[in-house]
Parts: sequence; structure tokens; C-alpha cells
Amino acid sequence: MSVDIACVGFGPATAGFLTTLSRRLSASDLPPLESAAAPGLPLQVVCYERADDLGFGVSGVVTRARGLRAAFPDLDGAQIPMAARVKDERVLYLLDPLGASRRSASLRAADRTIRALRGVLPFADEALELPFTPEFLHKQDGFVFSMGQLMQWMSAQVLASGAVQLWPGTPVARALVEDGKVRGVRLVDQGVDRQGLPDAAFMPGMDVRAALTVVGDGPVGAVGRQLDAELGMPPGNARREWAVGMKFVVDLPEETRLEPGTVLHTLGFPEPEIFGFLYVHPDHVASVGIFVPSGFASPARTTYRYLQHYVQHPAIWRHLEGARLRSWGAKSLLESGRRGEPFLAGDGFARIGEGSGSTNVLTSSGVDEAFTTGVQLAEGVIALLEAGRPLTKEGLEEAYVARRRASWIEAEARIAEKARDGFQRGFVPGLVGMALAGLTRGRVSLGHEPPHPADAVGTLEDFYAGRIPAEELARLRAECEARGVPLHDALMDRAGWPAVPLDGKLLVSQQDALLMGGKVQAPPGYADHVGFRSAERCRACGKRVCVEICSAEALRPGADGVPSFDREKCVHCGACLWSCTGRLEGTDEVNLELRAGTGGLHSAEN
Amino acid sequence: MDTVLLLTHTEADGGLPRAALEALSAARAVGGPLAVGLFGASVERAAAALAGAGATKVLAVEGPAFDDPRYGTDAAAATALAKASGATVVVAPATSRMARVAAGVAQRLGGRVDTHVTQVASDGGVAITRWFYKQRIEAKLRREERPWVLLVDPGAYPAATVEGGASPVVERLALSADGLTRTKVLGLRAPSSGEQTIRPDAKLLFVAGAGWTKKQASGKPEPERAEQLILGLLRSAGASLGSSKSLVDQAGEGQKVFEFMTHLNQVGQTGSTPRHPKGLATCCHGEEPHVVGWRFIRERRAVNLDAGCGWARGKADVLYVADAFAVMEKVNALLAAKR
Amino acid sequence: MSTGYQIVVLGSVVPDPLQTLEPAQTPQGPGLKNELMLPHVLDPWAAHALYEAANLAARTPGSKVTLLSLGPKAKLQQVMMAVGQRVPFELVALDGPAGGFTDPHEVAARLADAVKALPGLDRSRLLLFGGWESASRGAGVTLQLVGERLEIPDQFQGVDQLTPGPDGAFEVLERVEGGRHQVSSCAGAPAVLGWATGSLGEPKNNPQVGMANMRAIMPALQKAAPAPVGTGRVEYLSVAVPRTQRETRIVKDMSPDDVARELVEWIAQD
Repeated sequence: MSVDIACVGFGPATAGFLTTLSRRLSASDLPPLESAAAPGLPLQVVCYERADDLGFGVSGVVTRARGLRAAFPDLDGAQIPMAARVKDERVLYLLDPLGASRRSASLRAADRTIRALRGVLPFADEALELPFTPEFLHKQDGFVFSMGQLMQWMSAQVLASGAVQLWPGTPVARALVEDGKVRGVRLVDQGVDRQGLPDAAFMPGMDVRAALTVVGDGPVGAVGRQLDAELGMPPGNARREWAVGMKFVVDLPEETRLEPGTVLHTLGFPEPEIFGFLYVHPDHVASVGIFVPSGFASPARTTYRYLQHYVQHPAIWRHLEGARLRSWGAKSLLESGRRGEPFLAGDGFARIGEGSGSTNVLTSSGVDEAFTTGVQLAEGVIALLEAGRPLTKEGLEEAYVARRRASWIEAEARIAEKARDGFQRGFVPGLVGMALAGLTRGRVSLGHEPPHPADAVGTLEDFYAGRIPAEELARLRAECEARGVPLHDALMDRAGWPAVPLDGKLLVSQQDALLMGGKVQAPPGYADHVGFRSAERCRACGKRVCVEICSAEALRPGADGVPSFDREKCVHCGACLWSCTGRLEGTDEVNLELRAGTGGLHSAEN
Repeated sequence: MDTVLLLTHTEADGGLPRAALEALSAARAVGGPLAVGLFGASVERAAAALAGAGATKVLAVEGPAFDDPRYGTDAAAATALAKASGATVVVAPATSRMARVAAGVAQRLGGRVDTHVTQVASDGGVAITRWFYKQRIEAKLRREERPWVLLVDPGAYPAATVEGGASPVVERLALSADGLTRTKVLGLRAPSSGEQTIRPDAKLLFVAGAGWTKKQASGKPEPERAEQLILGLLRSAGASLGSSKSLVDQAGEGQKVFEFMTHLNQVGQTGSTPRHPKGLATCCHGEEPHVVGWRFIRERRAVNLDAGCGWARGKADVLYVADAFAVMEKVNALLAAKR
Repeated sequence: MSTGYQIVVLGSVVPDPLQTLEPAQTPQGPGLKNELMLPHVLDPWAAHALYEAANLAARTPGSKVTLLSLGPKAKLQQVMMAVGQRVPFELVALDGPAGGFTDPHEVAARLADAVKALPGLDRSRLLLFGGWESASRGAGVTLQLVGERLEIPDQFQGVDQLTPGPDGAFEVLERVEGGRHQVSSCAGAPAVLGWATGSLGEPKNNPQVGMANMRAIMPALQKAAPAPVGTGRVEYLSVAVPRTQRETRIVKDMSPDDVARELVEWIAQD
């Protein structure tokens, strides 16, 4: 099958691309852009999305929405469910009321000082409110969105134009690369068994040839990573910094005093490295969540358990007591920003969105940037097509990359480039480094570039040194291994984290979160999208961070030392990919393979 | 005041369907004068079974043409009976045969229809309670329009007790079957997928979840062992088999999971909502079997490895946190020893 | 002259079956909380009917499948992206509410008019397909009502299989009590068939089918006529999620042998 433009993934970047392009294609006052693939017809544009529907599983957001408002000048939020103007923004430093988090001596000293001065500081519910939100972080003029709802709203506009086709539930297996040129995409095989072998009603993945392949499949997307592997990265660029964001969308108690548009940013708890947020949507709904970064040294990273403790922190719980889980989800964030930028364009392809390194880690903003890169690409493509020029590397460099380089995306990405390096030296230097980078517009920074995430994970023995003896760690490890369960719960219980009092409303087991909050499903007839290159390497791995961090308990300790994978539980957050410590020698690749797959969350409220 | 017609077909043997006496209880709740309408090959036995039901009259459409369950003839017979009765409310049991024609009859009468009715009340005019969204939401409602055809879910009412009494005189309506249908009923067929595992009269419903095909303590799935255990229980306890959607879907996708399992076994959202005195769910973790699938199971127990299973909690009377393979092995042995 | 069937499938959108549903009052009557935010799918039984229709059309040359849907245009558009990739069909859309509390009699009147208005409709080739159940109202009522309005005398419900025979006749398997099927033979179209789940697997996503379908689906959606159906003259006295909470006794730390003994005793009790 042949089309003119094939897009991979429908996220904010592709939404920006297709919004802009479809407006041009349906403009009646301009000469039509004709298809080369189907002569006589208008430009043929298709977009394949992996998830079962558009807007499924993407994360919620607070954004300044500069790019969005440029594209939708009348945007007031009223037409998009769950959208609210930012009204009240605060930053809270959360102390540890349990004494269970791992805090450095300097942080403990700071905590003691804060507690001693509680009478004169804005201190309540074990939290210190910062006097102001730093300029680089604030979203005062922006919006709180449900990304799912925003994406559904944008997809409806794009579709209604009739100018482009969007196909959810259709993962792209790979780009068709010939002599360094991208010639289109190949869709995944259907009617196969878990190993990918033909089964009942086998239908091999179809090749869709296209003059331009727009790669907007996010930070862990299979096509983007394939291109990185086959074409390499620009000199000096690499993807080293990641985080997984996990959140609950909750119905707040009826008597809540939280106003729509309230935004809380938090730091300090459940572990100093874990940042958190609470955004308030209209109609007594809020998004609350945390980010667990790849720099977090513990191999027993469990986002879910940490999130359960986070929502119970007195400064958060005072808003959430009586709340009910409505939706739940998790997503990887590529926090390398500009340093993780791949080749943005080549013959027959262009990269947009988070996978193109557009996320800004200093301003904690990614959606608006991603959307804007899509708009920029569309503007470039329209200019090339109108001029009758081919979609080659040269043309795209000139029409898209140059446009992006000249924009605020690039300027702000440069400021943010080294903003988080201070975290390589610790939590406090990390904060200071961010502040310095923010205040000096990137001219001053602390620390150094982070190592490959596989090398950032420490050992359990180091992480729990002085708190859990090595012999006991060995015993816990053996017990969990025998029971076939991850290690994190046993470790956290032992480290002093109290049992979570499950209430069946907000505090529910991780498996129930899949059903109540995410409605996780996977259609039959597709191959497993997580696998391991070498069983030997898995067996030799003492850490199994992939199992510990798995947002949905889809990866579990398996037979023969190789983790088992349950496709029906996977939410496609991708955290297993950058948490795999089995780095292949001489490359940035790891032992865990994450391919394109269907299924995942069935919720458009995230 | 509303007048009510209890409308039912006869069984193939001429008797009264079990659900008809339940529908009679619902019909009585309307509170108005009651008529009975019967159709089938021969209505004698069914009419006798309703002697003493308190009907003011019994109407019938009878004859070989009305023997087989079939839309054209059944809808004509039911419409004729409803018209002749003059009733404003028509109550019928939700058998497959009545469900096939109820809405069509309402349309022919110029009336309205409601299905999935579970309660009829007559305070301040007839009001009904019925399911929406596949047994997930229930609503109480009234309609102004008449006649109003109500299809009463089986099990919603206890069977009415019919005091022994003289058989009422059956008024037979003359109805020609000519031109009513182009359909011939050829017979009944059991599914071809091995053993018949659906037993509506069983005391126990055994619900199998997808956990039966997952990896076991051995580190491998054990489908043959699971199949033996499930079949063993069905045989030794005379139980009926229900399944979660995820389990039958596996069977439907060419993964031959269990030879005897088809989509007919599925309970819950897109499956059936069977009625049995007892239900035992095993290896189920999900909303459908626990919430929707066994709404009409009186006593419910579950065996599941997850103590936190939010779906069994609050839905089952007892949740055993145990390995269903080990438990069922022993249950089968004990039941076998008993026999 | 063509000998194939004209298969019209009636079906609309319902909330994705795994979503949590709660009723809410709206100015138009009862509805669902967050109804527009809930992911929607083509009603599962109607979807089966559509796949069966496509399967029958593929086996019967000259046949054509039309999906007739009354639902909110935005939701129909969204659901068509998933359904449009599966099997070839033409869409006729009516823009109106698809919630379970709308009155089936009003919906049926609109649908029947839309069927009658289909260009080139030939009753002698018409098969009206739909679900015998629905995830919103249930029980194949709308389908039967439309069948009656079109004066189609042969109707089947709970259909799992349709096998065309010679001379336009076909054999039908309908689900009846006891996990069995009733086998019937119908002399031919027109007929109404309310499908159970059948035995076909879900068709695979086919990009070429999607491309071809969508060229007609988008224009069909754009010209969807408004169909403001409501709750009729129904007076809703209460709408609620049934209380089903039970006091669950959770038994941990009991050996499988003891669990088995307790279960066997329980099974034996009357």
C-alpha cells in the first residue's frame, strides 16, 4: 500500500502536525496539494497509533500552552473536558513523617532545622511551602489538562476535516529503511502466538510505503529507537536520563476546598529523588502522581508502592482523604532533553515530539514543546509541497529543522541542557543546580552528564547500607524468589514503610488498579512486545530492576531466572527498557527488548 | 385501573414453563384483574397447571402450527391473545421463546415494551424496576402508554403458588397460521465442542477464570491438568460451567485451551447471567465474573491467590486465598470418595 | 440481476464494557456520569453482527453491508476508527444520543425510516442484522421493533450461525435454554437476525479495508442527520447502581486440604 505521508503514533506532536497539515489540506481558498502515491486524489495522509484508541494512556499535564494557543487562538478550556486555567500554583517541600525514606545527612539536618523553625516558617502537615514558584517552573498563564481528553478533542478536529486518517490499535513494527533512506513503515503481524509465530488467521504486517514517515512515537517508541540504532545519534547526543511518571486520577471528596486550576509541585517525599504533583481539574477531579527517575539508585524502584505512600503524606492526604480512584496510568519521560536529540530529519523521515528530544527538564514541560515541533514540521512540509520540492534530508533540514532551531523550543532547550546535572552529586546539589541554570539562563550549571541509566543503578547492599544487613537482604531475596514476587514490598516493609491500608477506594492493590483505574486489556493474536535477547544475561543479572519498576506487575520473576511477561497487564510505560541493567557491551542497547505492541490502558482520562 | 394478561407459550411437552409461574407472581403485583393467555400445540396441561391462579379468563391459541418456537406464528398468536384479553399490561416470562417476540408484539399492539424487568409495583400506578447497561444499573420507571408488555427476568420472582381449583374454561381463539411465516423449525442441536457443560438446573455454577491457563507453581502453564480438574468437578458435583471472557477468548483465538469451552459458557458483560443457588469462582480476577456474571447466584465463594482481590471482596460470601489447582484436586478426590 | 444480500446492520456505540458506570441526572433525563469521557466501542453484539454480515457478504457475491448507527456524531467518529479497519461496510449515521435510557421505540422509528430511505433498497434481498442483546438497553428490542415497522415476518434472536442454502433459503442456529441451539430453515430474505456472539473470531485490522472504508465513512458522518431521540413518555422514578455489597469472609492461611473439605461440605448442603 502506498500513501504520501505515514505518521507513527498519535501523541501531542503528531496532533500538532496533523492539525496544521489538515487545515492546509482542507483550505478551499488554496490550490490543492495532490497525491503522488494516488494520482488524482488529494494528499494521502495516514497515522497509525499503537494504543486501542486515541488518547488512551497518555499522561495528564499542566502546561503554559504557548504552542497550543498559537494553533488554537480561541482555546479557553471550556470545550475540552477536564481542562482548567491555572489559578493557584505552589511548591511544597515534603518532609518524611515516617522516617522511612533514605535521606542524606545534610538533608536530615535541613529537615531538623525546618521542624525547629516551624513556628516562623510556612510549615503545615509536614510540608514547607516555598515562598514563590521559580520563574522557570511556573505555569501561571497555562492550563491543567487531561492529556487523554485533549488528545481526543484534537483528534476529533483532525478527523472531522476528512483530510487525514487516524488508525488506533495498529502498531508500527518498524520503519522500512533502504540505504539510509526511510521508505515507509511495516505494521505488526496479526494472528500470531506470543512468540510471534503464525497462528490462527495469520496476517503478516503490511508494508505502507510513504514519501515521508513522521516519527512521533514517543520516547520509547519502537520506530524511533530503530532509527537511532540504524542511523546512529548525532555526535555527543545520547539518551541517559529517564523517569517514569505514574498517576491517579481521582474523584475528590464532595466537600473539597480545592479549586479547579490549583497546581501543587512537591519534592522531598517519598524519597528525595521523587518529585510529585497534584493538579485540580473541574468537577471535583484531580490528578496526583510522582516521577521516579533513572538516577534513583535503588534497584527496588516501585513506582506504585511509592505513589501509595505519596498520596498518604499529610500535606496530600488532607486533600485526598475520602477520594476515589477513577483512572490510573504510567508513562516514561525522556529527561535527556536536547542531549537526547536524534537526527531530526533525513531522506523520507522526520522526528517530532518527545522522542525527538523536545522535552524541557528545567521547566518540566513537554506537551507544548512536542505539539509545537509537530506544527513546525507541518509548516515545513507544506512549504516544500507547495514549492513542489521533494521530502529529502536537504529539504526537511531547511524547512523543518531550521525552523525548529530558530524557535523558542531550541532556545529554552539549550538553557535546560545541563540543568539537572547537579543531581549526579546528590539531591541538594541537584536543586541548587536547577536553580542556577534557571536563574542564569543556562550559563551556570553544576555536576556532570549522567551515566547510562544501566550504570546508574546501585546495589541493594549499598542502598540499604546501615539499614538492612546484607545477610538479611540475601534472605529476603531468596524468599521473594521462591514466592515468585518482586522484592520491593519486602524491602520497603523492612525499611520502615508501613503497610498500605487498602480501602478499596483510592488505596487498592496494584492488580486492582489495572482493573478499576486503567481497565488494562490486550487483544489476542499479537506477539509479546517485551522479550530478552539473552536468557544467560538475565540469569546473571542480580538486580532485575525491570521486574521491580514494572508499573503493572506485567514482568514478574520467571522460570530459570528469566522474567516472565504478561501482555494482558502491560500499560506500555516503557520503564523496563531504561531500567534494564543488562547493557550490551560497547553500545547503549540493553538486554531487554521492547517492541511495538497493542493493548494497554483503556482510559482517556489520564 | 390496569388489567393484566399473563402471556406464555407452553413447553414442548405441553406443560407450563417454569418461569411462567414466576411471571405470574409479577403479574399479580400489578393488582388488577388477571387474564391468562396460552399458545402452543396443545394448552390443556398448561391451563390445568394454572387452575386456581385466580384468572378471570383463560385464552388460548392452539394447534400444530403453534407448536414450534418461531417468530411469525408466535408473534401472531401472542398479539391475538393480548388483543382479545383487552389487558393494559401484558406480563410474560423472559424465556428465549417469549424474548423472540415480546417487542414485536408490543409494536403490533401499538404499545410499549420493557425487558429485563425484575420488579413490578402498583403503588400510584404500575411501576417497574428493570436493568440497564447489562445488569449494572437498575431503574424504576413508569410509562403512560398502554398496552405495556413486560418481559420478566427469570429468577426475579418466586414461582407463584397456585391454589388447587377447578380448571377455568379455556376460550380458544381461531387463528389461521397461513402466510404467517416462511420459517420451518428443524429441531434442537447441542454444541459440537465435546461435553455439554451448561446445566441450567445445576445447584452449583463453577466459574473458571483465566488464571487456569496461567503459569502454575511449576513455572509452566498446565492446561491438561486444569482441564481434568475442571471436568472432574463438573462431573462429580453435577455443576454447570461458566467462564470469564478472557478465558473463552483464548479458546476462540485458536489457542486450544479447553476442548469443552465455547462462548456459550461465558458469564458477565457480553456473556450470560446464569441463575443457580450456589457459585464457586476460581482463578477469576476481574469485574465481569464477580459483579455481573454472578449477580443471580445466591451463595458465592471464590478461590483466588490474591487476598486483595477487590472484585471478590464485597461480592463473594467467602474468599479462600489458596491455589485453586491444589484445592480442586482435593475437592474432586473428596467428592469421588463420597460417591 | 444481482443475487446477493443487502445486509443492514443496526448498531451503535456503548461504553467500553470494562468501564465503571454510574448514573447521573442530565437535563435530558437519566444518563451516565462522565458519559462523554468514557471510552466507547461498537456495541459488542452489534459488532459481532457486523462481522457476521461481512463474512456472509464475502461468501455471497453481489452482497453489500451497510452499518446504520444512531449515536453522537463525535463518538461515532471515534469508534469508526477502530471498526473501520476490520471489515468493509458503508456507514449511514444518524446524530443523536445512544445512551441506554433513550426510548427504543423512538430509536426504532428513526432507524426504520432510515432503512426505508436507503437508496436501491430491495426488500427481497434485505437481511436486517443486529445484536440480540446490547450493553446499553438489552434484549434486541430495537431490532425487533424495526423489523415490525418494516413488516418483516421472519425474525430470529440469539443467532450463532447463518448458513445460506440453495434458492435463497438459509439455515439459522438460535440459542435456546440449556446451552443448545434451535435449528430453523427460512425460505429467504427479508429476515431479521439478532446475533449472539457467533463463532467468528474478531477480524484483524486491515489498513487497506480502513483506507477504502474511511473515504465513505467521513462523508457519511459529515452528512449525519440529527435524530434527537429522547426518553419518550417514560417517567424515571429512580436510577441507581444496585447495592451488591456482601460481607466477604476472607480465609487466608488455610491449607488446600481444609479449604477443599469446607467447600465439599458447602456444596453438599441444601
